[in-house]
This record gives sequence, structure tokens and C-alpha cells, in this order.
Amino acid sequence: MAEALVVQDLSKRFGGLRAVQEVSFTVRENETLALIGPNGAGKTTAFNLIMGFYRPDGGSVRAFGRELVGLRPHAVCALGVARTFQVAKPFGGMTVLENVMTGAFLRERRPAAAHAKAREAIAFAGLSARERSAARDLTTIDQRRLEMARALATEPRLLLLDEVMAGLNPAEVDQAVALVHKLAARGLTIVIVEHLMRAVMALARHIVVLDHGQKIAEGNPTEVMNNPEVVRAYLGSSGHR
Amino acid sequence: MSLGGRRGAVAAIVVVLVAVLPLMVKSSFALDILIRILLFAFIGTAWNLLGGYAKQFSLGHAAFFGLGAYTSSLLEVNYGISPWLGMLAGGFVALLASLPIGWLCFRLRGPYFTIATIATAQVLMLIFLKFRDFAWGAEGTTMPNLGDAPLMMQFDGKAAYYYVALGLLLVSLGVTAWIERSRAGYYLVALGEDQDAAEAVGIDVPRMKRDILMLSAFLTAMAGTFYVQYIYFIDPNTAFNFSISIEAALVSIVGGVGTLFGPLIGTVLLETTAALLQSWLGNQAGVQVTVYSVILMAVILWRPTGITGYALELYARRRAKA
Amino acid sequence: MLEIVAQAVINGLLIGGIYALVSIGVTLIFGVVKIVNFAQGEFVMIGMYITYFLGTQFGMDPVLSLVISMPVLFVIGMLVQHFLIRRVLGLNDLPQIFLTFALSLLILNVALMVLTPNYRTLHTSYSDAALHFGGLYVPVAKLIAFGVAMLLSAVLWLFLRSTDLGKAMRAASQNREVAQLMGINPHRVFAVALGIALALAGAAGSLLMPFYPAYPMVGQVFVLMAFVAVVLGTLGNVVGALVASLLMGIAESLGIQFIGADSGLIVVFLLLLATLALRPSGLAAGRAS
Repeated sequence: MAEALVVQDLSKRFGGLRAVQEVSFTVRENETLALIGPNGAGKTTAFNLIMGFYRPDGGSVRAFGRELVGLRPHAVCALGVARTFQVAKPFGGMTVLENVMTGAFLRERRPAAAHAKAREAIAFAGLSARERSAARDLTTIDQRRLEMARALATEPRLLLLDEVMAGLNPAEVDQAVALVHKLAARGLTIVIVEHLMRAVMALARHIVVLDHGQKIAEGNPTEVMNNPEVVRAYLGSSGHR
Repeated sequence: MSLGGRRGAVAAIVVVLVAVLPLMVKSSFALDILIRILLFAFIGTAWNLLGGYAKQFSLGHAAFFGLGAYTSSLLEVNYGISPWLGMLAGGFVALLASLPIGWLCFRLRGPYFTIATIATAQVLMLIFLKFRDFAWGAEGTTMPNLGDAPLMMQFDGKAAYYYVALGLLLVSLGVTAWIERSRAGYYLVALGEDQDAAEAVGIDVPRMKRDILMLSAFLTAMAGTFYVQYIYFIDPNTAFNFSISIEAALVSIVGGVGTLFGPLIGTVLLETTAALLQSWLGNQAGVQVTVYSVILMAVILWRPTGITGYALELYARRRAKA
Repeated sequence: MLEIVAQAVINGLLIGGIYALVSIGVTLIFGVVKIVNFAQGEFVMIGMYITYFLGTQFGMDPVLSLVISMPVLFVIGMLVQHFLIRRVLGLNDLPQIFLTFALSLLILNVALMVLTPNYRTLHTSYSDAALHFGGLYVPVAKLIAFGVAMLLSAVLWLFLRSTDLGKAMRAASQNREVAQLMGINPHRVFAVALGIALALAGAAGSLLMPFYPAYPMVGQVFVLMAFVAVVLGTLGNVVGALVASLLMGIAESLGIQFIGADSGLIVVFLLLLATLALRPSGLAAGRAS
């Protein structure tokens, strides 16, 4: 199968802090990869680097054969990479429909076509009942749905989901997992950053573990969970290093 | 009558009223107020594109106003070119100037963008004050009085100026309405709400900011030309005056940023208040702006979405109950 | 020639001390409360008028009047935070920018109405005195102003470094969420930040009176310098604002000396535009405050 995302020796430092150190991994098309690790491991930074919000100090990111390093986020999005944000960033003053239309406009110039595509994405995410609500009035789970619908409307081939389970109760987690499964079933390649192990297990066969900016383990769930480095990283993260 | 029919009838009445107003109003003072309302509603609507929808709060729009004013004046005085053409030329000068200005100012975000825009307008004023060789310096100049010369944008009596200002306002309202419905409109509001999220859905934020600034600058410059033709005088203090920048922003905030008619509503409120204050209290220093600032603070503290925003909220609440 | 330059540098450095007091206040508020105080200049003006009235009614020396003007402005700062700023926190940029902007207009225009546009000057025994070092001419009033300004800056620096409240302010400045998690009450911290910033502005005003006239618009000049210094010194960075203010005072003075009497402002603006073009995050960006 083709490679959707190839991250090679990706590095980024902020002043004295090495946030990401020579991280490499590959995601195959239609695969779901989970990026896990203790707090501060560099997971969200990796997303920001892939999307072009930060410029890496070294390394390369190729999506579907195209080099992403050096491109602005909107260009990365145009190439088929979309993301959701850890802290939801809805366009608060707009309605749900208008939010998703903003995403749909990437591929559809005309408002009518964007409107139709947006409604489709909203229905997929299960938000149809809230189409006309103001985005800032949504509950947490609905804001997550909105983020996904808006990203989906840009017709991505690769979707980066940043901690979509955070702050959800168990029933909502089930709904969110089901939604991600639906996305995968559509043929999307997905990379999730996630703390909740239950969701990771339910969604990913391929896991990459980061700690202090470095990749310390990679493999299927069983391999990774039994890796002593991984255990130490999670246990040791509450103490001093 | 159906709701649509009723709204249509109201709109028709408003249109007719607005069209015949100058013929009914004989007082020069009242006409002057109406013209000011139209002019500042025009400037406010132009500002609103950048500051209301895209939320890039410029307090330096006087820069474009002044550039428009000086371009058409220089062309008329030095080459006899009609201010109608000068108006367009001024628009283009401002549009071109907005490229380096935008490049500089957009490097900062939020309040510091605002400060940079203030600085820009001030620098332009200082330049035009200091260098008298190309633009008359601090004393400015009066425009040649050609009597009634419609082709040179000079008219006998104020009614004609009213219609020109009305035309300008309609142009800016039309442009705004068109943008609102289009992809650009959604993109502008999105980048105003959250620049990073906007980029993440494929919006070329820097380019959109640059483009909307160009449009806003072009329109604002046209107002500068009109103003010179109306008062027959230009000098750096008048053309680049900070109060123009303030009023451009103020009318939109009070009336409702990011709405089509917000700037117009705000202008009507503020200008009539100013006129009333002037007739009651005369021109005592500081009174008018004190009242303006109190209104502004009241709006910000209690109704930050402005008059239009508040009206929309009331309307939405009524519809939800029904 | 060297003497002319040295004299210009001295002049600039001394007035730079005043700019520093104003700009430190602006950058402190921005760092801690994340709001730009457009009204900072008006509080300088209030400080000037307080000192003017104390001086003309009671014969109080301007430096002594700091004992009154600073606490008064500190309290005003806390009131402004409590009644005004607190209500727009958490809203987006527009209310925050235009609130302090409206406040600035309000104070300035009320002053215009009540105090009239007339210039008021305060003459002290040392208003015209000067020290002579070599060929250099150092006005005593300006030297005192500079000295007190540096003293106040040093006290503030110690406060931020060593006291719990000061550290809380620095924490809130760097990472608000973490600070809140640590149990720091943001509103108390903001109120103190506002109080300190306005007290510094008032101090600047008081120190200016012996050699600068008071009039309603006076704040506008100083706030402009302050903003440029804040940008140049990196937003939120107190030491940066101080250093940048001194540099700007010197640049302005050199501009006045070598280009022309009214070119001080242009030099400052060009400095701002150059900073924006070349290093928009300011000179101290990337280093801790």
C-alpha cells in the first residue's frame, strides 16, 4: 500500500528546549496511527510541524509524495491534510453550518455547492440538529464534532486529530470512537494524538510513542504496551527526570 | 400584506425618502449634517470590511483618506485633471500604498497592529507637513473656485454633493453586501475569529488581509477626494486627522461591527448626537469627544456587538420563543 | 563634535528615564493582563496636574509630591481594573482595545473641559539649575527625574524577582493557565499590576513638572514613545522596555540635534517601522523577562 505520510528526522527546538528530536515514522494509506506519550512529549508540536504552523529545524515531512516543509498551513490543507485542534477553535460568531461551509469553500467556489457539501459533512458528524446553532454555544462533544466536520469539508486524505477524547464522558468517548471509525471507513488516513488508552486500543493497530521529543517505541499495541521503555516513560513522567 | 411584501414596501418608502430628502430640506445646516452622515457612513463601511469582518482594527485609515485627498488635489491644481478621475487615481494610490503599509503593520497582531496603523497615519501627516515642495506643506491650499462645474466635481448648492455622497455610500454598501454572501465573506469572518483555525481549513490568511486592506484603502481614499471637493480646502492636519481614523472605527463599533448596516446606523446616531451637542453647548473644547467616549465605553461594557448586534440578539430571542 | 554628540546623548538619556517609567507600566499591564493600556499617557497627565496643584497651592516639591501622586494613581489603577478592565477580560481584541482607548479620550477631554487647554508650568528652586561636567550641561531637574526613575525601576525589578506577589505576576505573565492552577488569584494580580503601572505613570508626571508644562494633551506624546519602546523592547518585557526607552530617548535627541527641531518624532516612528520590518518581536524576543 502507498505511503500517506512520511516523517523523517523531524526536529524542532524552542530556545533551549528540544521539543521534537529526529522523529521518524511512516503512515500507510488508510491506516490509523496513534501518537502517544506523556505530557510535553512533543505530540502536538509534531502536528504543528506537519501542518506548517512551525518550521522544523531539520527533517522532512512528505504527504502523498509531496514535501510539506516550508509550506504555509493553508497550502498544506490544500494538499489534503486537515487537523483538529486540542483546544477546539470554532469560528465562534458563526453558526455550525457557516463554520463547516468555510471548510467546504476550499474545494467549492460557489456558496450553493459549499452549502451542500457542508450539510453532508455535518450529517456525517452527527451534528445536523445543531446546524443553525452558534458555534460558541456548543457542548464540548459537539465542538469536537464541529471540528471534525469542518476538517472533513476540506476533503482531506490525511486527518490529524489532536486529543479529540479530552473532556468527554465514557458515553461520549464511544460516540467519538465510532465517528473516527466511520472516517477510517471512508478511506481516510488518520493520525491521532491521544491520552485515553481505551480509545487508542479501539482505533489504532500502529502506535508511535514519544517522550521528551524522542521516539522511544513503535509497533502494534501489544509490542508497545509491553515495552519497558514505554512503561518507564509513563511512570517516570510524574517524577523528576 | 405578507411579511416580504411589508418589508418591500418599507424599503421602497425609505428609498424614496432618501432620494428626495435634499429637495425637501432647505436648511444648509441640516443638509450639511446629512452629507456628513453619508460621508462618514461611507468611510465607516469601508473600514468595516477590514476592521469589522476581518477584525483587523485599524486606527490609521486617515492615511488612505489623506492620500486620496492629496492625489486628486494635486492632479487638479497642477494638471487641471477632473477630480472624478482624481478620485479613482487617489483610490489607486491608496491601494498601492496599502501594500507596504499592510506588509509592515500585519507583522503585529491585535492591539499592536492598531498602534502600528496609528503610527503610519502620523508618519504620513508628518511627511506632508514637513515637505512643502511637492504638496504645499503645512498651510495647505484652497481648491480653485470654478463655480458650478459638475465635470470638476464642484456644484452650486449642497443637494448635488448629497447625491454624490449617497452614491458613494451605495457603492460601499453594495460591495459589502456582495462580499458578505461570497466565499470571501466567509473567509474574512473566519480569519477575524481565529487566524490559525482559518489557515488550517485552507484560507490564505496573509493574502486575504492584504486584499481586503487594498479594497478598504481604495474606498476610503475616494472619501478623501469628496471631502476636499466639498470643503474646498486641503492641509495635512485636515486630510490626515486622527479624528477621521477614530470616527471610521467608532461608527462601526457603535452600530455593529461586521454587519452591513452597522456603520450607517452608528453614523446616524453619532452625527446627530454631535449636531445636537453643538447646538446646545456650542463648540467648547472637549465636550463632544467626551460624550463620544462615554457612548463608546457604554457600548463596549454593555453591548459590545453594537446596536445592530443587540437588535439581532433581541430578534433571535423573539424568534426562538415563537 | 564629540561634545555635541555627548550632550545630545545625555539629554536623551535623561528624558529616556521618564519614557521608561511610562513604558514599563504599559509593558507590565500587557504582560500580566494581556491588555494594551491606551490611556497610560493620560495618567501621566494626571500625575502632572496633581503635582502642579500641590506645588502651587502648598509649595510642595515635585519629588516630595510623589508620596501623594503615586498612591493616588495606584488606587485609581486598582479601580480601573475592578470596574472597567475586569468586564472585558476574556472578550476578544475589540472591546479590550477600544475600552482603554475610550478611557483615554474620556480623561483627556474631561481635562480639556475642566482644566482648559492652557499650559501650566511649575517653577522650582532647581528648575533652571544645571551641573557642569567638562563642557557638558546637565540640568538638575532632569537629572533628579532620571535618578528617581531608575530607582523606581530598580525597586520594581526587585519586587518582581523577590516577592511572592511579584513572582505571581511574572507567572501570570508567562502562562496564565498554569498560574491559575497554582492558586494565584488573577484579579488580585491584575489589580496590583494596574496599580503599579499607573503609579509609575503618575511618578513620571510628577517628575516632569519642574521642566515640562502640563496640559491636557501632554499624555499623547509620552504614550506614543512608550508604545514604541514596548514594541522595541519586546512586549511584556520590563527590562526590555527600560533599555528601549533609554535608547529611544537618545535617538530622539540625536535626531533633534542633527536633523532638525521637529524631527524627533519622525526618528522615533522610523525606529518603530524599522523594528516592525526587521524584528517585529522586539530586541529581547526569545529571552525570559
